[in-house]
Amino acid sequence: MKLICLVKFVPDVGSAKYDFERHTLIRDSAHLQLNPDDVCAVAFALRIKARHPETIVEAVTMASARVTPNMEDLLRIGVDRGVILSDPAFAGSDTFATTRVLGRYLSRQDFSYLLTGTHSIDGDTSHIPAQLGAVLNLSQMSGVQKIDESLLEQGIARFDVESEQEITTYQMRKPCILSLTRESGYKLPYASRANLEKDFSAQIQVMSNAELGFLPEEVGLTGSKTRVVETYVKRLEQREQRTVRADESGVEYVFRFLTDKGFI
Amino acid sequence: MIRCLIYIDPNETESSLDLIEAARQLHGDSFEVTGVLCSALDQLLPNVFDRLAVVAYPASGCVDPAQVADTMQAMHWKDKYLSILIPATPFGRMLAPRLAMLLGTGLVADITQIRRKDDVVEVIRPAYSGSLMACIRYVGEGPMMMSVRPNVFRDMVKEERAMRIMPMQPRTSGGGIERIEVKPKQISYDIRESGVLVSGGGGAAKSFAKIERLAELLGGKASASRKLVDAGIAPRSIQVGQSGKTVSPELYIALGINGAIQHIEGIKQAKHIISVNINKDAPLTSLSDIVVEGDADRFLDQLIRRIQQYQQSE
Repeated sequence: MKLICLVKFVPDVGSAKYDFERHTLIRDSAHLQLNPDDVCAVAFALRIKARHPETIVEAVTMASARVTPNMEDLLRIGVDRGVILSDPAFAGSDTFATTRVLGRYLSRQDFSYLLTGTHSIDGDTSHIPAQLGAVLNLSQMSGVQKIDESLLEQGIARFDVESEQEITTYQMRKPCILSLTRESGYKLPYASRANLEKDFSAQIQVMSNAELGFLPEEVGLTGSKTRVVETYVKRLEQREQRTVRADESGVEYVFRFLTDKGFI
Repeated sequence: MIRCLIYIDPNETESSLDLIEAARQLHGDSFEVTGVLCSALDQLLPNVFDRLAVVAYPASGCVDPAQVADTMQAMHWKDKYLSILIPATPFGRMLAPRLAMLLGTGLVADITQIRRKDDVVEVIRPAYSGSLMACIRYVGEGPMMMSVRPNVFRDMVKEERAMRIMPMQPRTSGGGIERIEVKPKQISYDIRESGVLVSGGGGAAKSFAKIERLAELLGGKASASRKLVDAGIAPRSIQVGQSGKTVSPELYIALGINGAIQHIEGIKQAKHIISVNINKDAPLTSLSDIVVEGDADRFLDQLIRRIQQYQQSE
């Protein structure tokens, strides 16, 4: 069984710097981490591999080759192969152009299940997994929590999705796309002592547009269907307000406000 | 004629109808709007669409976004919509990207505002966890596609329209998703339905029980900022903000919440806001009717005592 995990290394959104001229994130300025939902996708794949050692786990990302050390960390904990789709031509891609790039690579791969996260903490559009479903003509489900491990080998993904009111169990046949959430709680294993020092660079492939063969106008900023034209830090409209202190008179003021407005 | 297509999520009918207001802001007053409902028409929809496509699924609705995307793609080929609006519900968030890819068009997620600049549509959404707002234009031939969070656009007065019902047969493609079982959850509550919310943030991490107590005294519910949810103190279902829920209560009391934009996006429709913070210049305070400068826990103790005292004297 081959499992492909689609991952994204995301900046710590709190500390990242933004280029207001080019409307892009200065990714070098931020420490990168594996997106929390994607952590669960990789953790689940490695859990299956631990149970069925013949399972092949591959991690794929579209990113600058700068993420190579982050990818190596995934190999250290048991992922068999890392693929980084990286080319200056891909820079500035919106979700449409990104899906094109990922879709072309994935359409050439043979896999049973594509495991992804549901949300990424930086873009938070949740577009890519569902868009890949359209491009690869596969069923896709977001918000996946508990996956029945016993049926996977038979080509059946049975899993729970939790909403506000209910827990629904769905079933899809392989190949399909399962997008996990961090509520699934799958945890990454630790690297073995031997792997901590090992060089994994041979198992990482950086693939450029030379291999994927897009025309320049198909990808990157020019291949995108949406364009960020302005970014700004939001200014808030001021309300007429009163500032009080958290003392007896302040609390009394709030209390009066609440009774006047009929809340008490 | 300008045509707009709106997907009606059978689980969130009312907020789906608010997308008509988003369409109005997008197209002005003169446009034709078609709704698409992939479930039995077992609930009475007001006459707010020009046309309503009812796809004959069982009452429980369609579970496969691929089938709905296929249906809407066929509708677009026939009628050429200028815009397609989809509520950002769990199903809508799977449907919209799929449809955008099938139509080869741009999609913007979770928009909070629509504007025109030099007669070009620009949609606005919070980006990077709400640390800033991004203005986005569509490139290419369209249609313009967007997902819209429930409760962001409120359609106060809905225009009455002819609402011609068009029965449609479900598409047979896709269909790779089967629903096996549905178990009801022990329901907590929906903070979007509460008129009063008492909400805790990082500055009230140790006071959540008191927050619930105050909410109870005011006939409301407790909610939380992302910080408390990430810290495991409050469940995700009661998180307010862009990554949680957009709420519009009559009263919102924020305790120890600084108010990152992502949080403020979720409460900007609140009628009255009281914020309690040791920093009186925290971003949220500028939106507040009353700013209480000081410790949230102490304030909670005092206000709870004051309300109890009042109730006992009644």
